[in-house]
Amino acid sequence: MRNSMRKFRLTEPGMAVLFIIPALLFVTLFMYYPILQTFIYSLFSLHRTADWLHAQFVGLQNYIAVMKSEAFRGAFGFTLYYTVMTVFFELAIGLGMAIATFSVHPRLRGILRAVLVVPWAIPPIVSAMLWRWLFHADAGIFGYLLTATGLVSKPPAFLTDPTLAIHSIIVASVWKNASMMGILLLAGLASIPQDIYDAAKVDGARTWFRFRRVTLPLLLPTILVTVLFRSLWALRMFEESYGLTGGGPGTTTDTLSTFAYKYFFTYARFGVGSAYAMVIFAMVVMVAIVYVNRVKGNLRFKE
Amino acid sequence: MNGELSNGRRSLKRWLLEGLVTLAIIGFCLGPLYWIFATSFKPMGTEYVIPPEFWPSKPTLQAYAVILGIQAPGAERASQEGALKGTTEIKASPHLNFLVPVRNSLIVSTSVSAGALLLASLAAYAISRLRFRWKIQSLMVLWVAGLLPAVIVIAPTFVLMRSLNLLRTLLAMILPNIAYNIPLTTWLLAVYFAQLPWELEDAAKMDGYRPLQIYRKVILPLSTPGLFSAGIFAFLGSWGEFMLASAVTMGVAEVQTVPVAILNLSFEYRYQWTWISAAICLSVGLMVLIALVFQRWVIQGLTAGSVKY
Repeated sequence: MRNSMRKFRLTEPGMAVLFIIPALLFVTLFMYYPILQTFIYSLFSLHRTADWLHAQFVGLQNYIAVMKSEAFRGAFGFTLYYTVMTVFFELAIGLGMAIATFSVHPRLRGILRAVLVVPWAIPPIVSAMLWRWLFHADAGIFGYLLTATGLVSKPPAFLTDPTLAIHSIIVASVWKNASMMGILLLAGLASIPQDIYDAAKVDGARTWFRFRRVTLPLLLPTILVTVLFRSLWALRMFEESYGLTGGGPGTTTDTLSTFAYKYFFTYARFGVGSAYAMVIFAMVVMVAIVYVNRVKGNLRFKE
Repeated sequence: MNGELSNGRRSLKRWLLEGLVTLAIIGFCLGPLYWIFATSFKPMGTEYVIPPEFWPSKPTLQAYAVILGIQAPGAERASQEGALKGTTEIKASPHLNFLVPVRNSLIVSTSVSAGALLLASLAAYAISRLRFRWKIQSLMVLWVAGLLPAVIVIAPTFVLMRSLNLLRTLLAMILPNIAYNIPLTTWLLAVYFAQLPWELEDAAKMDGYRPLQIYRKVILPLSTPGLFSAGIFAFLGSWGEFMLASAVTMGVAEVQTVPVAILNLSFEYRYQWTWISAAICLSVGLMVLIALVFQRWVIQGLTAGSVKY
């Protein structure tokens, strides 16, 4: 018996590598290797072809052309504005919903937890289509409600006025993601030990005081990780803009991702598109480094 | 906060407040969906009538019949719409069949879940239960890939699929989506496997079981809930994937998945919001149902996947 155990141990690292290789192969082939490929594309002049071996090497010229363009600056600005606005409002609304769900009677809490899952389960592009109908210029429900309550004389052009279009996309995104933030924050709230509340209550702490001095500081790590996590996704936003406005009016609601996609699949210019993609990649990597560093400390496995 | 609930009777005021808050959150989360739901039952054209009906006075399944191909999208309706919108374009269209994208999506999502679960569970087993040097590092390499933006991988993947002659096939979505879902699935399963008791495994080792046997006969049977949770994420994730699906299907209706088909429907029948609503309800209904039924697993997976490691 001893013998067989030793044999088992000897082969264990080898087995482990064998088990990991298939997954690693898939991830490398479809995720890590394409990054390198996209970077190579970005250094070549590629019109209607991806055959960079026979294309002209242009160095950083795609990047320079992209950064010089008005369109890039617009998309860059919108991407940042969108990220800050959506993450802020998602956090505010998500935190409110989490605290409410946490505080109500357990029976109501069960209902709310189920309800919070629903917007998360909807595919982003479908959510964008849904909001396109709500924001419809002639028959959209929001336009109707605004005119019916007498706030405006005729329905606003939610998706065709530049400023309104930008904020309509933000509203739609906040709806789609706030409840997910709520679920994450709810888990954070639930992990705060009950005795801390009890101690604060014995001390006679009032609700608001308890929230500010007890709940919020203890929840702060969760809030930080949640915000980083959402920013990672907001920076690459594609579907909301593509489905709601298609980037319009003009290119006011084009993000870096929609531009990259259009350069790839509408104009068939892989070089320029890849330069756009690399910019998004760089932004995401910067946030990801902070996020990964915060998260990986909690990892423990039996050696 | 939570403490008040446990002691004794609750005042009427508190019940009222809690009820109102609950209703507000339900309204926020479900309101937009209700509106698309109501629209899907309106007779064609009446979705444009102002003031809008909050529930159709004459609810009909017409829109569903059209998108499922039971009823042809009428030329008469289209010309009426055309006149309404001041265009002369008249579309007498062939039968729509939204069941095709639903079938495609089911095939893609099922294959992706199965593939991702298989590859990820093997890797997760090695990482969490086997003795070797680069545990954390391998998990990091697999997991960090999940944070990459799709746009950085889309062009080379498209080119790869073209050279493999896989464009306009479901396989062009299945293979990359397996990879896209491996990071989260591996993470969830590694965390899940790590908390299983070691006693059974030790006993199995005593009996001379090899790692592959332990994986199959001990770890997997003990991990049904964990596999389930990870599988739901892979299923929902690949169901909603749009960027790659839209690129590799290249407008061919026979291979389109639901998200692509819905967007296409809205491009082709710009003014038929009852049809688009019906399509949204059909596809979203299924996903929402899955998410609600398996809510506990979804919430567990969500929190384990991003915040509470």
